[in-house]
Amino acid sequence: MSGIGAALLNSLDIGLLLFIIAVGLNIVFGVLNIINFAHGALYMLGAYLAFTLINIAGMPFWAALILAPIGVAILAVIIDRVLLRFIYSRDVADSLLLTFAILLIINESVRMIWGSGIHVVQPPDLLSGSVRLLGSSVATYSLFVIVIGLLLLAGLWYLFNRTRVGRIMRAAALDRDMAEALCINTRLVVTGVFAFGAWLAAVGGVMAAPMRALDPGMGDKIIIESFIVVVIGGLGSFPGALLGAIILGLIHGFGGRYLPEVNLLLPFVGMALVLLFKPNGIMGKGANA
Amino acid sequence: MKKMSIRNLLVAMTATATLGTAGTSYAEDPIRIGGLYILSGSAATYGEFAQRGINLAVDEINDSGGILGRQVEMIYEDTQGKASVAIQAARKLVYSENVDALVGLDSSGVAQGMVPTMPELQKPLIITHAATPDVTGKLCNSFTYRISVNVAQNMKAAAMVAAETDATNWTTIGPDYAFGHQSWEFFGNYLKEINPDVNLMSETNFPRFGAEDFTPFIDRVMDSDAEGVLISVWGGDLVNFIRQANTRGFFEEDLEVMFTVGAATEVLTALGEEMPEGVHLSTRYWYEAYDNDINDRFVKAYLDAYGNPPSYNAEGAYAAIYAYKQAMEAAGTTDGPAVAKALSGMSMEAPNGTVTFRKGDNQAMVSPNWGVSGPMHPEHGIRTLTNLQIFDGEKVARTIEETGCKL
Repeated sequence: MSGIGAALLNSLDIGLLLFIIAVGLNIVFGVLNIINFAHGALYMLGAYLAFTLINIAGMPFWAALILAPIGVAILAVIIDRVLLRFIYSRDVADSLLLTFAILLIINESVRMIWGSGIHVVQPPDLLSGSVRLLGSSVATYSLFVIVIGLLLLAGLWYLFNRTRVGRIMRAAALDRDMAEALCINTRLVVTGVFAFGAWLAAVGGVMAAPMRALDPGMGDKIIIESFIVVVIGGLGSFPGALLGAIILGLIHGFGGRYLPEVNLLLPFVGMALVLLFKPNGIMGKGANA
Repeated sequence: MKKMSIRNLLVAMTATATLGTAGTSYAEDPIRIGGLYILSGSAATYGEFAQRGINLAVDEINDSGGILGRQVEMIYEDTQGKASVAIQAARKLVYSENVDALVGLDSSGVAQGMVPTMPELQKPLIITHAATPDVTGKLCNSFTYRISVNVAQNMKAAAMVAAETDATNWTTIGPDYAFGHQSWEFFGNYLKEINPDVNLMSETNFPRFGAEDFTPFIDRVMDSDAEGVLISVWGGDLVNFIRQANTRGFFEEDLEVMFTVGAATEVLTALGEEMPEGVHLSTRYWYEAYDNDINDRFVKAYLDAYGNPPSYNAEGAYAAIYAYKQAMEAAGTTDGPAVAKALSGMSMEAPNGTVTFRKGDNQAMVSPNWGVSGPMHPEHGIRTLTNLQIFDGEKVARTIEETGCKL
């Protein structure tokens, strides 16, 4: 029983971190119709900025959690205004190419600025150590990840369903011309949504930093996981990102624990099964939803 | 008209510059060595560390007159840790960059894919890092050499260390590709040979390379009857693994823990005090294990240049350049087949003592190092190795018959 409890908490911890990252990818696709290949690179930048603020500038973890995502969001505004604005009206394949180029540029910049070595960030004192829960010992930091994931989930739901900003974003996603006719500054919305997606990626990066080693390939690893999440959950769907992330978390948490011989295949088996029965993902309604 | 004349001027300047370089390059004509390493992505640190070792060797050699009176020049290609990329890169180095010899390879998977193409290229390759026994075993050929310890040698030493402990029930956690599986296979076979009473558990753990979260596998081992566990996770994955194992209390369990590449200095540097004390750590070269002039000079030069103690990977790459110097000077030429022939059976002095490329399989007889993690080093900021054991390279090597190599 303790094994199942531990696997469950571990799945939630992996899943909710993936949710924080993948939901940004999904929002950007849902509103801007852009598949952002550089999303993982923005996640990595969040982690490296946190490393710099904490280990080099000597700031507390909490300051890094606030500042690093803001830094990445500012960079996202620049990327949007300088590069992406030329391709918003074009085919989605163009956005794949351009964001792939951005990914390569960020990867190489990170390697040049921070070196190719492995870096680590310590969790804050408050969150180090472990507690007993469901019959097994759990890292306090994992619980923190779960709590932040749930808070962001509630916050996003509130933003999209209960606020004017959320409605404007949804309006811009549904029909940009109509939104403009209603005097919504869609240019501002577009930039804001892209920056918000990057902010979410960077929050994921800062959250991941105290439990995962920082290296210049960490963004590539997470982008594959994030794509699996959106394929399972449905591209562009907000509840889909949650469902996909939790399912992938369970696949990792329980697969590694109880089916280690096939752990390598399980995420892809899960993805293939979903594609077989729901080609648009469990919550997906097609590319224009 | 004015525009035209500027263009003509530029053309003329370019032509002169090209002629100039052509002239000088003909006169000096450096020896070119191609380096094939992982230079991007998660494992890029291994390529960078190899380059550091090579830079030290090349600078030393060039400052003292080069090889056969010619300067040495390196040209690198990124293998990205993929065999197909590495094969293409090697062809490019040989056919368009005209390199005289090759060094490199960080991954066993890459080495298995790339080594069979070496006879086609007709240039010698010295592997400085990848450890799969196959490349100096069933895949061996007369152009492929390895200067670093292989899995078979290191796992024989590991089995000798494991046999000294009280643990009888053994399992493993290793990356799910050639390196992880072969480490466990060789370790198990050697351990059974020494002590037939040990039990090699059928419950093994092979997480994906780059898995990020190893907790499910850590939990599984903690809940099993294992008394000993062989861990062949390496690089950034190993850093993740140890940090997650720390939060789980893995090292407080009554377990004999053996890390097959745990004493890699890049991992120890990243972890600092987070590397637990009292676990068995191995490396292919430990910088404090060898007391000779070459090692003293190498370690000092490395510390001066980079501020950290050298990794096994830097040492292997450093020694490989010197191996080419000696082989090219013995052959009196840089001709590929002649240099390869000179390497066969050649002995040389390296930071880790006398290294011999065994005739028959071209595997260097070098010593695996095993120790137990001790207190922090006062200056280098990494764990020290206590109870250091330097195994005789010859004694832990398989016989030529066992390797399956037919040259």
